[in-house]
Amino acid sequence: MLTAFGRAFKTPELRNKILFTLGVMALFRLGSQLPTPGISYSLVQHCQKGATGSGQSLLGLANLFSGGALLQLSVFALGIMPYITSSIIVQLLTVVIPRFEELKKEGQSGQTKMTQYTRYLTIGLALLQSSTLVAVVRARPSTLIGGSSSSCPTVMPNNDLLHVAIMVLVLTAGTGLIMWLGEQVTEHGVGNGMSLLILTAIAARVPGSVWAIHDRGWGTFLLVLAIGLAIIVAVVFVENSYRMIPVQYAKRMIGRRMYGGTSTYIPLKVNMANVIPIIFASSLIALPMMVAQYMQPQNGKPAPGWVIWVTNNLAQGDSKSYMLIYTVLVLFFTFFYVQITYQPDEVADNLKQAGSFIPGVRAGKATAQYLAYVLNRITVVGAIYLSVLALIPLVALGIVGANTNFPFGGASIIILVGVGLETVKQIDSKLQQHHYEGFLQ
Amino acid sequence: MDIVQIALQVIVVVTSLFLVLLILMHKGQGGGLSDMFGGGVSSSLGGSSVAQRNLDRLTIVVGLVWALCIVGLGLVARFS
Repeated sequence: MLTAFGRAFKTPELRNKILFTLGVMALFRLGSQLPTPGISYSLVQHCQKGATGSGQSLLGLANLFSGGALLQLSVFALGIMPYITSSIIVQLLTVVIPRFEELKKEGQSGQTKMTQYTRYLTIGLALLQSSTLVAVVRARPSTLIGGSSSSCPTVMPNNDLLHVAIMVLVLTAGTGLIMWLGEQVTEHGVGNGMSLLILTAIAARVPGSVWAIHDRGWGTFLLVLAIGLAIIVAVVFVENSYRMIPVQYAKRMIGRRMYGGTSTYIPLKVNMANVIPIIFASSLIALPMMVAQYMQPQNGKPAPGWVIWVTNNLAQGDSKSYMLIYTVLVLFFTFFYVQITYQPDEVADNLKQAGSFIPGVRAGKATAQYLAYVLNRITVVGAIYLSVLALIPLVALGIVGANTNFPFGGASIIILVGVGLETVKQIDSKLQQHHYEGFLQ
Repeated sequence: MDIVQIALQVIVVVTSLFLVLLILMHKGQGGGLSDMFGGGVSSSLGGSSVAQRNLDRLTIVVGLVWALCIVGLGLVARFS
C-alpha cells in the first residue's frame, strides 16, 4: 500500500497530476479565508465570538459545502453550492423538458451542451444567491453569523449601494472561479474536480467538529472516534456493494472471425442515488424554517400556530417530528432519484442492440421489467441505509451534543468516503497504465 | 489612501466582470450530477485546443489580478 504511494509519486505524469490537484485544493482553502472587500474581518470575528451557534441549522448544508467560508463571508462564501444547485436543476429538467431529454440521448455532444447550460445557470444562481446573502448581511448580520442583534449590529463599515454592488460582483466572480478551478482539476488533475472541492470544504471542518466533542470529556471523545471508525468501515463496505446481473453476449460471425460469446455483468450499486437524496431532503426541510423566520411578527403579537409548531419542532434536529419527516424525505428522494437517473428501458434497449441478453430473461420488454424489479428491491436496501446514515448526526446531536456538522454521518461521510474511493480508483487505474501494482488489491 | 481604494475598487469591478465572462467562454468539463458524486468513470479526452489554452492563461492572469486587488483592498481597509 505505502509502496504504491511511492510509485504514484515516482511516475512523473501522475506526480504532476496529484501535485496540481493538491495545489488547487490549497488555493480553494486560501480563497475561503480571504475576506470580501467591504466586510470588516474584525467585526465578523467580534460577532462570531458572541454567537451561540443557534441559527446554524438554517444554513447547515450551505455552510457545510462552503467549508465555513460562508460564515466568514470570504470571497468563496457561496462555495460550490450554486453549481450543485444548477446541476440538480438541469438534471431534473431532463425529465420535464423534451429538448433536454433529446440532448441527454445525444451522448457526448449533448452532454457538453448541458454542461454549458449548467455553467450559465451557475453564474445566474450565484448572482441571485450573492445578492440575497449581501442583503441579509447588510440588514441583519446576526441572523447569519449568530449572536444577538445588539452585540452585532453590522459587519459592513460602508453599506451604501456602491459597496453592496461590488460585494455581489466579487462573490459571483468567486463562485465562477471555483467552478473553473474544479474543471481544471477534472482536466489536468486526478478525480472529479467539483467533488474534490466539496471534499476539501467538508474535510476542512472535520478536525474542528471532532475536537469540539472533546469538551464532553475524553471518554465520550474516544467512544465517538471508535464509532466513527466503525461507521466509515460500514460506509466503505456499502459503497463498494454491487448486485451483479449476468449478461451473455451472443456469438456472431463477421467475415471469418468470431465475435462475442463472452459473459459480463451489469453492476447495480446498492446506493445508486449516493448523497443526493440527503442533499434534497436537507434543503427541503430547511424551507419551512426559513418561511417561519419571515412570518415571525415584529411587534409582539402572538405568532400563528403553525409558525410556533415549526420553530418548536423543525428548528432543532433532535426533535422526533424532525427526524420522522427527514427520514421520510430521504426515503422518498432515494426512490425518486434512482427512477430519474436509471432507465431500465434504455439499458434493455442497449443490451438488445449489442446482441446481448440476461440469461433466463427474454430481450426487450421482459428485460426492462426484470431490471426494474431488481432495481426496486435493491433501492429499498439503499434507501434504508441512506436514511440511517442521515439520522446519525441528529442522534449524535441528542446524545453527545455535537453540532449539526457532526462529521461521522449524513452527507459528509458519504461524500468523504465516496469521493475518496472514486479518486483512489482513478489514481489506481492510472498506475495500472504504467504496469504498477495499485493501492487496492 | 482614498485614491488607492477607489482605483482598486474599479479594478476589482472590471476584473470580476471579465473573469465571469472568461470563465463562461470556456468549454465545460465533466458531466453533471452523477459524475460529481461517483457515477461511472468519466473519461477525460486528450489535451485541449490552443484557443482553450490561451483562454486558460488569460483566466489565470485575470484571476491573479482579481485576487491581488482583493488582498490590497483588505490591507487598505485594515491600515487606514
